[in-house]
Amino acid sequence: MRRLVLGVAALCLTGMTAMAADDPVGVRKQIMTSVGAAAGLGGGMMKGEIDYTPAAGKAAIATMAAAAASFGSFFPEGTDAGDTTASPKIWEDAAGFQAALDKFAADAGAAMAASGKDGPADLDAFKAAMGPVMGNCKSCHEAYRVKK
Amino acid sequence: MIRKLVAAVVILGIAVAAAGWFLSAPDRLPEAVVASLPAGDAGRGEMVFWAGGCASCHAPAGAKGDEKLSLSGGLRLETPFGIFVAPNISSDPKDGIGAWTPAEFADAMLKGTSPDGENYYPAFPYTSYARMTLQDVSDLYAFMTSLPPVSGKAAGHELGFPFNIRRGLGLWKRLYLDSAPVIAEDQLHGDTDLSVLNRGRYLVEGPGHCGECHTPRNVIGGLERNLWLAGAPAAAGEGKVPDITSGDGGLSGWSVADIAYYLETGFTPDYDSVGGEMVSVQENMAKLPASDREAIAAYLKAVPAH
Repeated sequence: MRRLVLGVAALCLTGMTAMAADDPVGVRKQIMTSVGAAAGLGGGMMKGEIDYTPAAGKAAIATMAAAAASFGSFFPEGTDAGDTTASPKIWEDAAGFQAALDKFAADAGAAMAASGKDGPADLDAFKAAMGPVMGNCKSCHEAYRVKK
Repeated sequence: MIRKLVAAVVILGIAVAAAGWFLSAPDRLPEAVVASLPAGDAGRGEMVFWAGGCASCHAPAGAKGDEKLSLSGGLRLETPFGIFVAPNISSDPKDGIGAWTPAEFADAMLKGTSPDGENYYPAFPYTSYARMTLQDVSDLYAFMTSLPPVSGKAAGHELGFPFNIRRGLGLWKRLYLDSAPVIAEDQLHGDTDLSVLNRGRYLVEGPGHCGECHTPRNVIGGLERNLWLAGAPAAAGEGKVPDITSGDGGLSGWSVADIAYYLETGFTPDYDSVGGEMVSVQENMAKLPASDREAIAAYLKAVPAH
């Protein structure tokens, strides 16, 4: 369990330290990978497949919050070409994309606040905090990701 | 000599045109079937509505929650054949289907023929709906006529020649309108209960109309049934619609439970999230009973890899 928590935290850190400005596509993919890992941890605990601990809950929420804060910085003009699933809509509807990012950040921020220092005390508190955060995945992907 | 040749060609031309005219005549349900249309139940009809995905095309773009029941039309489908605009199918008697009889509704769903005897474009997926039962069609009619009326006709389609000739679809239907199952029972592999597989097959090949997006089409828009559910280019834009057969390019790494969970929540086994047009479909699937999602999942795992 401890290893799982440390692993998620390491993933989070790796994403943060690897902020090479010359590979925005690579960095934003890493951020999404860390989001997927946090969703996997959060979803596994909510389904009862992984045992819940406040520390694990906090790690999942913190990863989401860091991703929400940083993700939007890695979409310079022209990076919809090549090996990426970013839809041209991100630039055509920049206001809409920013609004979606802002909502993700707001939900993750609220979850961080609810976590406190030690993380949500029990699974029910975690579900209440994490649920709205995970609702953001679908709404961004609906408009701004193109499967290739 | 020449005059006889010209006369022969003209007569042949008239014969071909006449044959074309008769062969493309609008198809309607036989009288006996119309007479036997069962009474519909709106409660059951609501489940058919979600399974059939009506709101995904006929509600306004981006509709959420109760907005999905406002079937005003207007959504534009940009395809290689032109731009189709979804019509108003609310219960409005002037601008929607409020004045339609149950028989007219059944002809539209099962034969792709309008109350005026015109062919519908298969952007309306009647080639899948043709596999629905009369009971489901009647139930759907009962539910849809109970929804709020919305006034205002949607714009017409924007199609170029030759696709703007509706009559021609009568010939297309002779090739591609077939209510028989796509995957025969003996082709479904796996050891799941046959009644579950048949329910899944009905939902996917009928109201779910999954094949309309997930199967590639030929140059005149007919589905390539030997590549059933094997994935296809998206109708609009650069995207790709994935392979959802049981093969390695498709769902070989997913269990039945994984597929059912995805249909319920939108999360893949790796906790990637559903996106694009599939979001609307997944939100519809989430409203069905769990047994229906499991049946769909069981059928997909039993579809032969291409």
